[in-house]
Amino acid sequence: MGRRYARTGPGANRRVSAVSQKGDAAVGAEALPTGLEGGSTASRTGWAPWAYRIGSVGAVLLIWEVYGRSQETTLFFVPFTSVVGALWEQIQTVEFWDAYRQTFIPFVWGWLLSLAVGIVLGLLIGRFRTFDALTKPYLTFLNALPISTLVPIAVILFGIGYASRILVVFLFGVVEVTLNTAAGVRYVSKDLVEMGESFNARQWTLFRKVIFPASVPGIMAGVRIGTGRAVVGMVVVEILLVAVGMGRLILRYRGRFQSADLYAVVLALIIFGILLQVIARRIERRASRWKYEMEQPA
Amino acid sequence: MIEIKGIGRRFNTRDGGSFEALKDVSFSVKDKEFFSIIGPSGCGKTTLLKMVAGLIRPTAGAIEIDGREVAGPGNDRAMVFQHFVLLPWADILTNIGFGLELRGMSRKESREAARPFLERVGLTRFADHYPHELSGGMQQRVGLARALAVAPDILLMDEPFGALDAQTRQLMQEDLMRLWDEEQKTVIFVTHSMDEAAYLSDRVLVMDTHPGAVREILDVPLARPRGEEVRVTPVFTELTAHMWHELRGMMGDPSAPAPE
Repeated sequence: MGRRYARTGPGANRRVSAVSQKGDAAVGAEALPTGLEGGSTASRTGWAPWAYRIGSVGAVLLIWEVYGRSQETTLFFVPFTSVVGALWEQIQTVEFWDAYRQTFIPFVWGWLLSLAVGIVLGLLIGRFRTFDALTKPYLTFLNALPISTLVPIAVILFGIGYASRILVVFLFGVVEVTLNTAAGVRYVSKDLVEMGESFNARQWTLFRKVIFPASVPGIMAGVRIGTGRAVVGMVVVEILLVAVGMGRLILRYRGRFQSADLYAVVLALIIFGILLQVIARRIERRASRWKYEMEQPA
Repeated sequence: MIEIKGIGRRFNTRDGGSFEALKDVSFSVKDKEFFSIIGPSGCGKTTLLKMVAGLIRPTAGAIEIDGREVAGPGNDRAMVFQHFVLLPWADILTNIGFGLELRGMSRKESREAARPFLERVGLTRFADHYPHELSGGMQQRVGLARALAVAPDILLMDEPFGALDAQTRQLMQEDLMRLWDEEQKTVIFVTHSMDEAAYLSDRVLVMDTHPGAVREILDVPLARPRGEEVRVTPVFTELTAHMWHELRGMMGDPSAPAPE
């Protein structure tokens, strides 16, 4: 009896495990397409997330529109369609494009400068401890401080020309670029570095061929975040102190209670900011593709 | 010839003390010899290998290769890692040529030079695939090809098949055996598998632990070329049984189950 029992034991187990294996396989096969739709790959390509995004934005715009129309005056709150209309009229004026250019030129310089300085500084900080120690007080300081408080100082030092605006945009962007780049370098896999050393690579070759490419995802994250900050800096300096470009338009329309025009300028800035973010994100994703792929099973 | 002369290594611990990983290790490895190092986990066998690679400095003694003291990594040595350590952003051909690239060759030249090695490890079809698309066994073939591509005199292998499943592992051992028969390089092979050590090696160093030291060096009296069948010969069984006896004595629990 006992023997027979012992024999059926494992037999039964085997059957159970065979069933469960089969069950798992079936679940796996079914789960695969669903997993793709819900997974991170699909959130980039599938239609469902887009439907939600568009629905969400559409709902808010609809509320805006209805509430705007219910107002008795257009002094404070205007319907969305009026804002779009105002923007449509603005973009047909020379003044708008002049303002955009005035805002845009120092932004581009300050932004590029923050990327260049941030990446180089971040690479040095991530690689050399001495450099980390030398720069840490300043980065901590810049990180703790609302950069806006430096705007008056920048203007006192550099006047209201391009220089002070470039400086402010630069200061807004540079911290995030630096810190993310440094983190990217610091967290390069130690195994990869050791592999490079074992093949007798020179320091510079090791940096160029292993450490730098492995840091690219961190660098690109810094570029994306820093770009967003630089856009904030661009607007802040114009509104706070130097009334030029888009900032001057905002202040003027506010002063005249031309709300639709005021919102239109803000909308133009938002569109510009979103556009930059989308581009930056796309570049980041492309540069870091190996990292995402590595984290997903082949 | 590689001569390990009275090597010791101390590591500083967090609490300000120090810990002796290796103590007075001496042995030598002949040219074209397949030499394995086996020992319980934490006995310092990987540390020892990395010292020969020039990645870690000994705190006592010296390592000499053909009479010249090892002061760092060199072009005469190449390493194969337990976890492969391939570039995830580069394709297989670039990965195989990467050792050459690190030594100053251009990407284009190194990829060209890597091609014959791609074929030798049987990955011709996968030249433009990426590491994450390959199985563990295939990834380690890339690791092996990368090491062979720099034409080293000495191949240093750190538990190269330790991360693979048992079947893949056995296939890889046979492939390595075949490659080694063709290449005739000096190999230092760290492992914790007794079967693997007996099957592949000319000699096996069994290490003591706490601190790591030489316990004994065993000759493997099996004729070459070795086929699968040597695994069932009395000599093979006796040898692995002896290693197990030695290793078991070092492991705290005498009733500990045998490792694979």
